[in-house]
Amino acid sequence: MAAAPQRDAGAPWRERILAILGGLFVVAGAPLLPHFFGVGTPAVLAGQFVGLTAILWGLNRFFFRRLPLSGFVLVLFSIAVFGVLFLLGYFTTEIVLPFVGEFASRFIGLVHLADLGFYLFATMTIAGAAGTAFSRNIIYSAWSLLFAFMGVAGLYIFLGADFPAVAQVLIYVGGILVLILFAIMLTKQIGGDPHLTNAHLALPAGGVLALATVAILSYMAVMAPWKVVAEPQYVSSVQSLGIAFLTEYLLPFEVASVVLLAALIGSVVIARKEIKETTDSGL
Amino acid sequence: MNSVGLPHFLIVGAALFALGMVTVVTRRNAVGILMGVELILNAANVNFIAFNHYVDAPGRLTGQVFSIFVIVLAAAEAAVGLAIVLAIFQTFRTIDVQETDLLRE
Repeated sequence: MAAAPQRDAGAPWRERILAILGGLFVVAGAPLLPHFFGVGTPAVLAGQFVGLTAILWGLNRFFFRRLPLSGFVLVLFSIAVFGVLFLLGYFTTEIVLPFVGEFASRFIGLVHLADLGFYLFATMTIAGAAGTAFSRNIIYSAWSLLFAFMGVAGLYIFLGADFPAVAQVLIYVGGILVLILFAIMLTKQIGGDPHLTNAHLALPAGGVLALATVAILSYMAVMAPWKVVAEPQYVSSVQSLGIAFLTEYLLPFEVASVVLLAALIGSVVIARKEIKETTDSGL
Repeated sequence: MNSVGLPHFLIVGAALFALGMVTVVTRRNAVGILMGVELILNAANVNFIAFNHYVDAPGRLTGQVFSIFVIVLAAAEAAVGLAIVLAIFQTFRTIDVQETDLLRE
């Protein structure tokens, strides 16, 4: 499989890509050989080795420009890579997978499968919020906020609130987060400022405050005798929300539109100052 | 208790609220403080919708209506707040809230 050196230097892209694809095909298809032909494990391993060498030869053009792998070096390198991958695969299939499978089967017996979705979204939300709170760089905080918002939208779906979930994605992720990113970029505080945190109330004090708040609120949430309904319903709430907004909550709905208009005009007036100054100085 | 119920959502809301509060009190960047406020509003929304789902009478949507109003007010707050942050930045050339302690230029 070791190709001639003079071909390596100027082999065109198509040959390399074909070699990569063919190698991938061989590596993936080799384990099927014993099912169709009467060959054993050594033949499978040999086939995978050949495929891996082909992949490496194909990658030559893209990754190893400085040190072209050809001839003997290519074979040596592919043997090394094959050995590492073999050990890794052996370790994964023989040791890790049975352990994980056993653990998962025991775990799923305890937790309903549908609840795993809740735990996924809850983890996403809290991890995003923690990233927002404790990240040193303000732009990482903003990106963590994205995960927090998306996780909250997922929680809304678990609570049967489809319209608030969509509104969350549209308004928070599509609107407020973009506004925040714009504000970060316009105020030139992306990085480099080491004094991001408050000197009087630093992160340790903040962590203690967070733990105390979570402890007290969680104790109350678990211990309080909530009058929970027997069978929570999962129905689409869009139509009923529209009817509620135009009948029972008509006045707050109209007031909210006035508030939005006032906020729009107010923010334009407040943020307009710079343009006026620059045009004044420009004139 | 085997399946997910009301307390689970309330605990997530509590964690969101606490982390938002930490963001508000430990950040000196004004934009960071606004992010913390958004987290706190989201925590309130999670509680509203959880109570609507688990506690309110079936067919009633008071919690969801309130959450929509909270989202509307959060959008207004973000727009005005970030406009104020930009105005502060143009005046003081910084958005560190410990250095912007004057109401005039």
